[in-house]
Amino acid sequence: MNVTINREENRFNVVLQGRLDTTNADQFQKDIQPLMEGDQPEITLDCTDMEYTSSQGLRMFLMLQKSVNARGGRMTMTGMKPQVKEVFDITGFSNIIRII
Amino acid sequence: MKVLIDPIAGKSAEIIETLMSSSDMVDDPALQFKLRLCIEEVVENIVNYAYKEGDGYIEVGTELKGDSLYITFRDSGVPFNPLEKADPDITLSAEKREVGGLGIFLCKQLMDRMEYEYRDGNNMLTMIKKVS
Repeated sequence: MNVTINREENRFNVVLQGRLDTTNADQFQKDIQPLMEGDQPEITLDCTDMEYTSSQGLRMFLMLQKSVNARGGRMTMTGMKPQVKEVFDITGFSNIIRII
Repeated sequence: MKVLIDPIAGKSAEIIETLMSSSDMVDDPALQFKLRLCIEEVVENIVNYAYKEGDGYIEVGTELKGDSLYITFRDSGVPFNPLEKADPDITLSAEKREVGGLGIFLCKQLMDRMEYEYRDGNNMLTMIKKVS
């Protein structure tokens, strides 16, 4: 999983590319560390090129959403592929993460 | 197809690829995506948790029966029936949701049927999905 973060004050534009699974979940957690800090973050995750996420990946997104909520911020995932979106739907994650 | 891999520590990727490259595997990318996801969830569980002390084997298999693909997993680790695990409450808010416990739930949702049996010291898990 390739993570590119562009930051402008409290606004984070993040591009996610590739597959997120057990083999790289730890690295992903390190890569998104900048998103876990600061007040009222406005985070957009561009998922256009995110090919796959396992339950390990879902854990990471839930952790991030909890952290963003606790800091009074907002997170949006965009451009998600239908097969990835289905995984978010059946696990109820579409109800707790804003996906457009 | 039936393949025995022993030992299994650190071999998740190899085990997953063994199943995905089986001649029984479907061509439809959308279906493949779901099968890979479920295979990965089960394999990771077995590789990471089945053998608490030392290491052991896994036997994985695929078989087409009628219009369904049967994917089987056998290990001699700690007895564990994943189907007994309670489903997460997917209506809870982010704050109340627990991080984790989603892997098996995903398999149960994406597969048509799952079966578990503990026999002769082996965990035997079968995932069944209609493929045609």
